[in-house]
Amino acid sequence: MARLLEVKGLRTQFFTQDGVVNAVNGISYTLDEGETLGIVGESGCGKSVGVMSLIRLIPSPPGKIVGGEVIFNGQDLLKISDSEIRSIRGNKVGMIFQDPMTSLNPVLTIGRQITEALQLHLGMNNAQARARAVELLELVGIPSAADRLDDYPHQFSGGMRQRVMIAIGLSCNPQLLIADEPTTALDVTIQAQIVDLVRKLRDELGMAVIWITHDLGVVAGMADRMLVMYAGMIVEEAGVKELYANPRHPYTIGLLGSLPRLDQLTGEKLDSIEGLPPDLIALPKGCPFYARCQYRIERCKTDTPALENVGVGHRAACWVDVTRDPVTTENPWHTA
Amino acid sequence: MLSYIVRRMLWLPVLLAIMIFITFWLGFYGPGSPEQVLLGQRYSPETAALVRRQWGLDKPFWVQYGRYVLNYVSLNFGESLTKYPGQPVATLLARRLPITLQLNFAAVMLGVPVGLLFGAIAAYYHGSWFDRGIIFVSVFLRAIPTLVAGPILLFIFAKQLKLLPVGGWDGIFSPSAILPVAILSTGIIAGFARQTRANVLDVLNSDYVRTARAKGLSEVRVLLGHVLQNALIPLITIFGFMLGGMVEGTLITETIFGIPGMGLLAFEAINARDYPIVIAITVLAAVVFALSNLWADLFYGVIDPRIRNT
Ligand SMILES: Nc1ncnc2c1ncn2[C@@H]1O[C@H](COP(=O)(O)OP(=O)(O)OP(=O)(O)O)[C@@H](O)[C@H]1O
Ligand code: SF4
Ligand SMILES: [Mg+2]
Repeated sequence: MARLLEVKGLRTQFFTQDGVVNAVNGISYTLDEGETLGIVGESGCGKSVGVMSLIRLIPSPPGKIVGGEVIFNGQDLLKISDSEIRSIRGNKVGMIFQDPMTSLNPVLTIGRQITEALQLHLGMNNAQARARAVELLELVGIPSAADRLDDYPHQFSGGMRQRVMIAIGLSCNPQLLIADEPTTALDVTIQAQIVDLVRKLRDELGMAVIWITHDLGVVAGMADRMLVMYAGMIVEEAGVKELYANPRHPYTIGLLGSLPRLDQLTGEKLDSIEGLPPDLIALPKGCPFYARCQYRIERCKTDTPALENVGVGHRAACWVDVTRDPVTTENPWHTA
Repeated sequence: MLSYIVRRMLWLPVLLAIMIFITFWLGFYGPGSPEQVLLGQRYSPETAALVRRQWGLDKPFWVQYGRYVLNYVSLNFGESLTKYPGQPVATLLARRLPITLQLNFAAVMLGVPVGLLFGAIAAYYHGSWFDRGIIFVSVFLRAIPTLVAGPILLFIFAKQLKLLPVGGWDGIFSPSAILPVAILSTGIIAGFARQTRANVLDVLNSDYVRTARAKGLSEVRVLLGHVLQNALIPLITIFGFMLGGMVEGTLITETIFGIPGMGLLAFEAINARDYPIVIAITVLAAVVFALSNLWADLFYGVIDPRIRNT
């Protein structure tokens, strides 16, 4: 498969009154055509900012992409002009967002919100764009699509609105679809429907997908490869099976430990990782996970581990080999 | 939607009856009485009783009130008692109202677009010197009452610089209109700029504007196609408030500049205790308030599909 995207050392900061927020701190990864990449991590770890930076959708001010490269189809998206990046947004790269209730414009019809991108990027006239919008709505499973074109967002349920968002994201046949927690705001049953829908459409249309979630369970059946983010950094990367079978970063182990398993519904409280991620304005020296880590050693306090190969297609940023070295502290949060 | 508007319309007469009642009640039981005002120096208990009988003022409250309401329904607003004795109030209103309407119309036509533009630019470049300037000026302007600003402007432009007339009225297209329109519209500009700025900032940070940008739309298209309409919606209410505020603004401005409109008439009538005029103007003001509210509801329906479809 050909390389679609290569992100090198991407850094994004927010210049706020309280100080500089280090939201994304030099992340690097690649994505092939048609591949699905899952990104997981706790709230605030830079997942959204990381992907929005790819198409320069960071609110500025206060945000600024301060370094790195985003090579998409051989072109650095951080170097091209504003109008060039706009011709890629919504066209080669589609996006769907977390909250379908607020992501659609309340005063414009669904039809208008879909045809907009079609007319802009594909040069369709009004009639062509409307016909294509009906096709798209049918594709994402909206019943009697032709009749719904002139309806407004408030006439749709949350799940249906997310389907409309997916139709907008896919309208121009993107090479890459970025889905930023598209199921988090939905009911559990609807979540499964949306996951199935995106998987089905990906298989039909063959686009690459970046799927963000803070729930490892959601992406398990969907992604080829996973990135685990912590404090604006990638701390582990592996194929999805490898990551579940052989997690190498203590944070990933913690995340997997807090995952509800269908075969173990005992009703016991899941052991979520104790403590909070570090302050992104004043990042501590050393490993960002130090304060919460059960495997930590002296060195972790002063030196930041780099992302190193630990297996085939498997990288982790940790000084310790969790497969051999023992846990050094049972509950660091209470002793730290 | 339609039935809602009809229901609101039906409220209008009820509201007016209440307004007439309150004004009438205040005049009836408040200090002073029409015959005192009317007779002035010639007052004696005998003549007073005569006048009371002649004007029906000896009848019980409800009878007098009922007669008043009936008169209003047949558009008979009575006659001026003291200020313009014998002149029908309706004639007075017909002569004064156009001047006030022109004055306020000009102020709105100037103030609303300018306020919208300033507010939108300030929001788009929020944090810039332009933004700070707009905030400062609008807070500053709102803090100065017309009662202070009017005489100061008159002093500068009329007495010192002798550029503009000291007052009076030669029509809306004459120099005499410049200062009053400027004063009335600065309030509107300041209010609209502030509110527009807040709304546009809100909308700019919304998820659907992010969606619009993610589609690859240019900033101009994002602003005109997605931001503007949403930012305008809350302004409809503000416009309603503004119309209400203009009733008060007109009273003060016309009085200061000696413009023979409704405001000045109200001022004269209150001073002369000319009850029929006072009541008529109060009722008219109530109509303006009620209509501005209704107008807001109507317009919401036009601009906001969430209301239109309910
Ligand atoms: N406009 C902004 N101004 C200041 N800081 C911001 C802004 N947007 C994001 N940040 C900061 O950047 C960091 C990363 O945010 P981001 O939205 O990428 O987190 P996330 O991993 O997507 O979390 P979630 O799971 O809650 O969506 C956070 O600490 C956040 O506070
Ligand atoms: S480097 Fe040290 S502190 Fe960081 S995750 Fe590994 S063991 Fe824990
Ligand atoms: Mg996010």
